[in-house]
Amino acid sequence: MSKIGVGSVLAAFLAASSFAQNPHYQPDLEWRPPTQSQTRENPLAARPELAAGGRKLFVRNCAECHGRDGAGLEKKHSADLQLAVVQQESDGALFWKITNGNAKRGMPSFSKIPELQRWQIVLYVRTLKARAESGSGAKSQPPIAAFQSAAALTSCFLISTPIRIP
Amino acid sequence: MKSILTVFLSLLLLQVSAGAQESPFFITYTHHMEEPGNLDLEVSTTNGITRSGQNAYIAPYVELEYGVTARWTSELYLEGQSTSGDSSVFTGWRWENRYKVLGREHWINPVLYLEYENLNEASRIQKEIEGGGPDLVSPNALLTPTHDHELEGKLILSSDYRDWNISENFTLAKNFSQSEGVEFGYAFGVSRPLATLASAHDCRLCRENFVLGAELYGGLGSTLDFGVHNTAHYFAPVISWALSDNSTLRLSPGFGLAHETNPVLLRFGYTYEFQGFAGRVAKLFGRRP
Repeated sequence: MSKIGVGSVLAAFLAASSFAQNPHYQPDLEWRPPTQSQTRENPLAARPELAAGGRKLFVRNCAECHGRDGAGLEKKHSADLQLAVVQQESDGALFWKITNGNAKRGMPSFSKIPELQRWQIVLYVRTLKARAESGSGAKSQPPIAAFQSAAALTSCFLISTPIRIP
Repeated sequence: MKSILTVFLSLLLLQVSAGAQESPFFITYTHHMEEPGNLDLEVSTTNGITRSGQNAYIAPYVELEYGVTARWTSELYLEGQSTSGDSSVFTGWRWENRYKVLGREHWINPVLYLEYENLNEASRIQKEIEGGGPDLVSPNALLTPTHDHELEGKLILSSDYRDWNISENFTLAKNFSQSEGVEFGYAFGVSRPLATLASAHDCRLCRENFVLGAELYGGLGSTLDFGVHNTAHYFAPVISWALSDNSTLRLSPGFGLAHETNPVLLRFGYTYEFQGFAGRVAKLFGRRP
């Protein structure tokens, strides 16, 4: 294989891995909150300082699957919470998802956490977006798609990982 | 004894990240299930402060609770009993399963419960009261030879309303070893955390780590003699304290409301949660959780 070919493979691999995302994660498009839940506003929105308590709750309850940075690397189906597809959700939608869980994907309901504490977790999840943006740039697409585009850019036909776009 | 104490204190002080917002109830079940892949190890005792002429007893039990899926939790119990002036005996085991019927949260969340019990008549942990309650008078030598194979079902209804949890359990049990008919029981529970906002710093004595509540439970006789006549009933305040992120201490003094009860039932429980237990086992075998 020529140096250019090897370089392309490496470039594609590095481009994909630099996202540090869960390569197995695919958003569950059927997991949608009802409209009235989506439009609920965070009662703590005016108190961003409470996100620090949300971080503590996140580490206790969510980090096992989503990772401390929310990148979702811990389990096969764990969502990357830094992704635009997650961050574009309304506060109400995130609250609904924390409350109800998604049994199909193995996410339990966290309704046992007091309501205001769940809103604190939502506040903290919002800070993950800011971190992603201040880091290597906002993540705009799921990792498989990112991997695919990186591979396409470098014309890497040697990588035979099955690719499925959600 | 010293080594047991060391292990206990070590577990108490370990600060492994996990969610340990356990229900404070000893008897009443809520619709909150164990997170999938997590394993809870719980050590509890039921201590009977008896009437004059009866012997006080301690009935310890170990409980292993595992989240099979987000909607299915399975538990194994091993239990014993020690009566002052009598003896200490192993009283048997139980295997229970709970299944959350609805995937999402509703006003009322039903959970189905099925348990198999292989116990002897000396069992006194009183995880539920059904029929007329346990025999608190006869000596262990008389009670242990009688084995009970029992199937127990529960309908658990549970609601979360403004940070209050309100739960109702309706029990029916069939002992296949005795002609007792089908026995009935109930349990109601209400609980609320002391604080609903989480502070930014780690603290152990903050109000957010405490949950207070109360339970009311008892027997309702059987198909042979239905009703509250000659049955045991207790009212029990409960408190749980999250000692660390993965361990909880619970305490409940129960007060007997009928002649067939102990005047006071003191319950203690310590729970340690192994978060991601299934994932760690999977990693041991080189598999991704």
